[in-house]
Amino acid sequence: MKKTMSDYELIEKFVKGEQSCFETLIQRHKNKVFAYISLYIRDQALAEDLFQDTFLKVIQSVKSGKYYDNGKFISWVMRIAHNLIIDHFRRVKQLNTVSNDDYESDLFNSKKFAEANVEDHMIKKQIQKDIRNLISQLPDDQREVVILRHYSGLSFKEIADITDVSINTALGRMRYALINMRKMMEEKKISLTFN
Amino acid sequence: MALTSTPFLSYHEIQVDKIDIYDDAYGFYQEFNDVMNLLEQVKPVPSKRLTKRLIERVRQMN
Repeated sequence: MKKTMSDYELIEKFVKGEQSCFETLIQRHKNKVFAYISLYIRDQALAEDLFQDTFLKVIQSVKSGKYYDNGKFISWVMRIAHNLIIDHFRRVKQLNTVSNDDYESDLFNSKKFAEANVEDHMIKKQIQKDIRNLISQLPDDQREVVILRHYSGLSFKEIADITDVSINTALGRMRYALINMRKMMEEKKISLTFN
Repeated sequence: MALTSTPFLSYHEIQVDKIDIYDDAYGFYQEFNDVMNLLEQVKPVPSKRLTKRLIERVRQMN
């Protein structure tokens, strides 16, 4: 049986010149990284840029020997993404040009949707839009914890490390986020009418 | 006496890798099942075009 290489084994091979190993890492972690950035940043073009920048920064750091394995490669990558997002907001704040563009990602890039009937497609699209709106209306710190836990699958310990808060604070933010989202769901009468 | 017992599990056989102990302790998934189910409906993934473009940029770097 073929053994799956660990993240660190892939990094070691990549540093030694095996290009394809980094591509394997991208394929392995791209969804977690993209989910975090795209749900945090509403501007899709910007989210795509930051997504690419994250992996390019990872390469630079790995090649300059800044990565030390502690078995948490993805947690380290997410910290890089987090820092890039913070840097972006700092720059925007300096320029004083806050974008309010409504972000609607291509959630339907699957061929399956072509086969679904139009009504189901529209209901599903509306529900997904509502959910994105719910997430986007959360305060930044609560939104970040929900995304990192639910969509990127990080542990609360990892989330606490990335966001520089205690585990209790991260847990508290998660609880408040879920309470707020439930309240908004009730106010806006959002429910799962499509399965 | 007919004994029905559960198979013995050693400490090392218990899989805890994918379980977050805090999630478990706080019971978020039980208490907020409705919200979690709603969140499940959104699954952001990078497009193939974006992934391809990233891989091309990575290749150019080397």
